[in-house]
Amino acid sequence: MDNTSHSAVDALRDSYLGGPGGVMGWFRSTDHKRVALMYLAWTAAAFVMAMILAMLPLMMALGGGDFERRMLTQVITYQRLIQVMGWMVPVLPGVLGFFLLPLQLGARNMALPVLSRLSLHFHVIGLLLLLASQIICPIGTGWTMDSRLAMLEPGAFEVLLVGLFFMAMSWMLTGINFVVTVHHGRRQEMGFFDMPLTVWGMYVYGYLLIFSGAVFAAVALFMTASRITTTGLFGWEADPMVWRSYFWFSIRPVAYFALIPGVGILSDLISGISRRTSPGYRLLVGSMIALAGLAVASSGVALIGRGLDPGSSLVFSFFSLLVLIPAALIGFTWLSTLYRGSITLSPAAFFALGFLLHAGIAVGMGMLLASPSLGSYLGTSLFASAQLDYILWGGVMAALLAGLHFWWPKMVGRNFVAGVANLGAVLYIVGLNLALVPRVIMGTQGVPEDAIGLVSGFLAQAQVSGLGWLIVYSGLGVTAGNLLASIWSGDAAEVNPWGAVTLEWTVPSPPPEGNFDG
Amino acid sequence: MGSANLSAWFPEWASTFAPGVDMVFYDLYFVGLIVLILTVGLAVTFMFAFRRRSGDPEQVPAGGLNKCLLGAWMLGTIALGGFAFMAGLGEFVDSTVPPYDSYAIDITTREGAWDFAYPGGYVADTLRVPTGKPVLLALTSEDISRQLAIPAMRVQQAVLPGRTTETWFEPITPGTFPIYSGTFSSVRYDSLPVAMIALSEPDFASWLAAASDIFAGRTMAEVGEFLYVAQGCKACHSLDGSKLVGPSFKNLYGHEAVSTDGRTRKVDAGYVKESVLSPNAFVVEGFQGVMPTFDGKLDDRKIEAIVAYLESLSDHGEAGPQEDK
Repeated sequence: MDNTSHSAVDALRDSYLGGPGGVMGWFRSTDHKRVALMYLAWTAAAFVMAMILAMLPLMMALGGGDFERRMLTQVITYQRLIQVMGWMVPVLPGVLGFFLLPLQLGARNMALPVLSRLSLHFHVIGLLLLLASQIICPIGTGWTMDSRLAMLEPGAFEVLLVGLFFMAMSWMLTGINFVVTVHHGRRQEMGFFDMPLTVWGMYVYGYLLIFSGAVFAAVALFMTASRITTTGLFGWEADPMVWRSYFWFSIRPVAYFALIPGVGILSDLISGISRRTSPGYRLLVGSMIALAGLAVASSGVALIGRGLDPGSSLVFSFFSLLVLIPAALIGFTWLSTLYRGSITLSPAAFFALGFLLHAGIAVGMGMLLASPSLGSYLGTSLFASAQLDYILWGGVMAALLAGLHFWWPKMVGRNFVAGVANLGAVLYIVGLNLALVPRVIMGTQGVPEDAIGLVSGFLAQAQVSGLGWLIVYSGLGVTAGNLLASIWSGDAAEVNPWGAVTLEWTVPSPPPEGNFDG
Repeated sequence: MGSANLSAWFPEWASTFAPGVDMVFYDLYFVGLIVLILTVGLAVTFMFAFRRRSGDPEQVPAGGLNKCLLGAWMLGTIALGGFAFMAGLGEFVDSTVPPYDSYAIDITTREGAWDFAYPGGYVADTLRVPTGKPVLLALTSEDISRQLAIPAMRVQQAVLPGRTTETWFEPITPGTFPIYSGTFSSVRYDSLPVAMIALSEPDFASWLAAASDIFAGRTMAEVGEFLYVAQGCKACHSLDGSKLVGPSFKNLYGHEAVSTDGRTRKVDAGYVKESVLSPNAFVVEGFQGVMPTFDGKLDDRKIEAIVAYLESLSDHGEAGPQEDK
């Protein structure tokens, strides 16, 4: 026992975690693993903040109080902004992308290490400005920030927009870093079609990060100018459809298709727990590329029912329905990997099931929203908002937690308690569906997505949903507590618990600073 | 879920669109649910059936994809996607092209108010529609963007400033149906028209006739005041003596007016009628002849009401508009 803990201390001292300590040691670090851990801390903090904000409408649903409408709109606005811009888009590339890309490619670090640090700093600056705008004077326009409303709202909207500019720049820099690292950081003998699927997912999503980040950064600046002068591209005289179009075609690809890196992560993970390589490697790569293309081609589907003309609605309906094809291929390949595998029922496997369920529901809801006659009825209802929740809370969260439970021993060198993690997974999956199904039904009943507070006639649905959220919160609390506790009280982790063949499992847990130097 | 009451998903069928929209939803929902249960069910089954047992090798062979199964799976997916696109296409095209004989109601919204303007010119603050004929809603906003949804009709549409959007439906049963409207904003509270009332055609006709009769229960001067607001006179003619695009209505009646070409005339009933029907016959000095004619919009009785209103605003002498200039 003494011996193990002693060698664990040695392992820690020799690893990337044992480098220069203190705030400055971490702040100045350009090591991809440290950047990933800092991304984990910042995204987790942002998500907890969004969860706290969501408590207010939650308490209202459960009968805990009656809040002023003005306060509710502000709370809901910032909750969504933090969740989408500060968590949903950067979390998978920021945490698992930065940690795994060099390790899986056999590289010492990202190709552009200073850019890794800059991505993180821009993200943090953006997040702090977003929170500053909330403290100075919050806005209540909803997270889509309609241009006419934006001209009228009091509040520190300019501060928020500059924050969003920094976040978008951070996405773009991350994307550039991923693409360059894949092209120049690979081991010499590793071809494009030898790369692990996680790398493929991050690489493909990297292009979307560059596209959306660059465009949205510009859009945010134009909006700042219009806000100050009330003229210009998004000014008072402008057609409100101009802002809606720019906003959705820049944000929708990167937000609604934040599942692409999740597909890569889950593909590696399912291979890992099944102890075999995927039988449909090239199909999965092709599916992820197709999803990235369709992410851009289908972006206008968000405008159906929001003033888009009927002809364009049909075009975007068509491209949106094409998403079914890569989604079906991915599902089939995963099932084929599991079939006759040698499967370890670990917490990662339960979170992977959660991803399959939630992403499947999100794709199915996307099919309903893309069907022409239904889309114009459901497109701006709570149904559409619940679909975003299934992607965000369901898909991206499940992919993150599955990935963390799969690679956590490699990241910190300690094992968590599997039973507690399983409990967290079950609470999270059951709670989330209890929370979201009533909202889906309220949506088909016609309740609009921007309904504020309790809608009369739907008290029972709101209460079931509120109870579901409480279960989700407790599940996430158990999960996070278990992971954190493992850092102090976990057993030392093995080098390769899965018998996996990808390169990150060849280095010690946790890896040394140069990854493959030792 | 299959045995669950279907009405949990949608409000009642109260328009001709409802059956079509709901059927497409149920078809896609049930097929999608079966595929989802199949996929997740198989994943769970495989995870338990192919659990790692002692003696299993470190790595098992990759295996392959079953080509026939994959082909069938993809054909099924393409068929489902094609159905999702085609099934609602006819309904969708129908919903974008209102029939020629639609009963058109112009809806204008601004902060705190929704105006529903009926074809006869009557403007109400509640939406009433006749059943059994197509109703066309032409929507526009004077300030910010909003949404208008009438779920029982299965319609919802954006209400945008600077644009007119359209939606139409044909109510089939009389009743009161909820409307959801408004916007996500912390400062601009909307007074929500919470319900749409559908009336049978005779009921609707008698309601509109009664509501449109602006003379019922009003004195002539009150009718004149109503018309002053409803016809937009307000925009150019003030009530406090201040000079806008046209002369103020304060102390106008009974006084002398001078035209741009030097004629002088006393403002009486005949003068007012001429000014309303052919405004450019006598343009008052200091103003331009920009007033539109109200010929065909105001009948003799309404003009009498306006005269009565002007009379009530005037002191018939002393300080006239001439001295004000």
